[in-house]
Amino acid sequence: MIDRIDSLPTSEINGYKVRPGKPLPFGVSHVPDGLNFSVYSSVGHSCTVVLFNRGEQIPFAEIEIPEEYRIGSVFCIIIFGLDYEQLDYGFRVDGPNDPALGHRCDPSKILMDPYARTISGRDVWGVAPDWANELYHYRSRVSFDDFDWEGDTPLKIPPEDLVIYETHVRGFTRSESSQVAHPGTYAGLAEKIPYLKRLGINAIELMPIFEFDEFENSRAHPETGELLYNYWGYSTLGFFAPKAAFASTGRFGMQVDEFKQLIKQLHANGIEVLLDVVFNHTAEGNEQGPTFCFKGLDNKIYYMLTPEGYYFNFSGTGNTLNCNNPIVRSLVLDCLRYWAAEYHVDGFRFDLASILGRDPWGAPLSNPPLLESLAFDPILSNCKLIAEAWDAGGLYQVGSFPAFGRWAEWNGIYRDSMRRFLKGDSGQVGKVAQCVQGSPNLYRASGRSPATSINFITCHDGFTLADLVSFNQKHNEANGEGNRDGGNDNHSWNCGAEGWTEDPAILTLRKKQMMNAFSLLITSRGIPMFVMGDEAGRSQHGNNNAYCIDSELSWFDWSLVEANAALVNFVSELVQFRLQHPSLRVNRFDADPISHGLPSSSFHGTHPWSPNWSDDSRQLAWMFAADMDAASASTASTADVVYVMANMAHYPVWYELPSLPPSLQWKLKFNTGDLQSPVQHVPLALTDPSLLVGERSVIILTV
Amino acid sequence: MTLEISSSLEQGWQIITVKGQVDSKTVNELRDYLEKEFKSALPLGLDLTDVPFMSSAGLRTLLTLYRQTQSSGVSLALIGLRPVIADTMKVTGFYQYFTVHASAADLPATG
Repeated sequence: MIDRIDSLPTSEINGYKVRPGKPLPFGVSHVPDGLNFSVYSSVGHSCTVVLFNRGEQIPFAEIEIPEEYRIGSVFCIIIFGLDYEQLDYGFRVDGPNDPALGHRCDPSKILMDPYARTISGRDVWGVAPDWANELYHYRSRVSFDDFDWEGDTPLKIPPEDLVIYETHVRGFTRSESSQVAHPGTYAGLAEKIPYLKRLGINAIELMPIFEFDEFENSRAHPETGELLYNYWGYSTLGFFAPKAAFASTGRFGMQVDEFKQLIKQLHANGIEVLLDVVFNHTAEGNEQGPTFCFKGLDNKIYYMLTPEGYYFNFSGTGNTLNCNNPIVRSLVLDCLRYWAAEYHVDGFRFDLASILGRDPWGAPLSNPPLLESLAFDPILSNCKLIAEAWDAGGLYQVGSFPAFGRWAEWNGIYRDSMRRFLKGDSGQVGKVAQCVQGSPNLYRASGRSPATSINFITCHDGFTLADLVSFNQKHNEANGEGNRDGGNDNHSWNCGAEGWTEDPAILTLRKKQMMNAFSLLITSRGIPMFVMGDEAGRSQHGNNNAYCIDSELSWFDWSLVEANAALVNFVSELVQFRLQHPSLRVNRFDADPISHGLPSSSFHGTHPWSPNWSDDSRQLAWMFAADMDAASASTASTADVVYVMANMAHYPVWYELPSLPPSLQWKLKFNTGDLQSPVQHVPLALTDPSLLVGERSVIILTV
Repeated sequence: MTLEISSSLEQGWQIITVKGQVDSKTVNELRDYLEKEFKSALPLGLDLTDVPFMSSAGLRTLLTLYRQTQSSGVSLALIGLRPVIADTMKVTGFYQYFTVHASAADLPATG
């Protein structure tokens, strides 16, 4: 083989052999015997590569990139002979520092590479940083990107077939009750795959795993002294690096391999991986915040600034990433492509996604170029794209998020309507009818489908399900903000006593309400999602905003799986039921009637075909029907029919059952009114034309 | 920091014994030694009893070696792997490729 000429250095700087670099790809890439560094700054006059031995405070070399190595606004250089496994690196950028004009260059600061694939500095969770003496906190590192996937690919599960389980990597197994070898890590999560399989879910959505600093804004609780962390991690340091402290091998810098190994194992078990990604802001805060990356590289490009040079705050966290600037758009696109191609990630949920549709001055765009680019990107074409379709600046776009035929939405209207129906509010049945069909009122006119709607009653943000049925008010004292933080519009009902109680009637009702919630959620068309532990009745003691709590309060207590085995079993049976019944997963609003003549969806009341839509109605029944495809058709029947009867009144009600074609017969599968046996493993054939639905109960029939 | 590496023949296996920490500073010694001394016709036992730590670069060399033995159709076994290294290998996906034995005496008679 002939060696390439460019594998040899052309010059020497400070004792290091170098040659002009390649501008793309950005960040660091391996070349024979060397590393190519490439970083963008439109305002920087000069850029210096700062090289450290791993973890050391004093750099062993600083290499200013020669002016002639700069191509356009990109500084690039190849440096030879570096021990890249031991290397931490950063940049110094000299340039204008005039905040009123939007410029904040400061060559005294060492900046992290915005394309760093690995970031060191917070390698082990909770090891307190030395803010005063550390020169360089968030340290860019080189990663190998040579994982052996052995033929693994993203699973490409059709969206309408997904059942999403939202979880926090650390919180899922950090509790000792998890009994895993590596609590609170990617490896710990992998150990719990059998549990996820038993539950039947086929996608997990991970709360932020991009590197963040759990010590950002950390503080002692004013009364208890407990240390409060940035536990949730909705504050990105670097968009290309997995959180090191979520890896049991983070201290060896092997988080990339450990996270990929988790994804590979999940895929092997039929479970997709969705990442909750935060592109609306960064951890650099506002003008009072630290400078460690974008501010010092090119403040005006990366952030939305007021005419006076202050930071717009549509994210509620200090700054707003300037997502529809072409440079930032490319960064976001490069990032998502990297996770899709290099990590085999199946999809993304975008935190406060409405910000991604604002122009550089904050005005909502009708055709946001970033959202369009993502929707049509060739590398992301199989990825699920899910928007949290609102932001902290007042945009609320559920039903109107610019979708380009691709984007799904967290359906906040579904959540609120279902919660209100569950607690017995008046005026809900009409809304519930929309919700269970996949919200055609929101999505049909624009040509979108039921799987546009991510249906959820609970998520990480807000009450857990157990708390939703145990508290009327939030109880966020543990967050140290005098219970002022967190939402007040919980639509929750405590079933008769606030919080902890021994009253058996209340406890029974709560159990039933949790089963009711799951029954409604899992039988709705669209994509169901629930949050970790809800299937086992996990409580946060009424805290509806546990973003800063890293303790048993926010972790999954695995002893609940046994203590609430009936609920876990019920949820698992429901999820399996959903996956066995295509009528629940029809992904069209205009599906034809099935061959037996039944419509794809129809609504009923205590009398068939005549729902009571009045405000004081708390009874609704609905029938979903689909033809079985050849593969799933049983010999007995080619029709799949599911009938759900919900009674949210405080008294039982007789429901007359719709008559079926002669070849079909109703069979009872679930009845939350019968807490002794809420699930019939073998569905029970019914002969009576009517059925009594208990107070605040849901019955599910099939054929 | 250097490695001590030696080679011997035992019951039809070539045993390469490594002593010292295998990381980015020492990994080239191992790589060079294997290139020179590994007899690709014999099954290979890599004795790591006296390797207290192996960095990411070291683990990658093991995986490269696995691919080489696989393509030449001989067995590869790791001997005396320390639990801390085995554990790292398990959670990062390296372990599954290897046969591991507590000592050279446990190797099967024919590779």
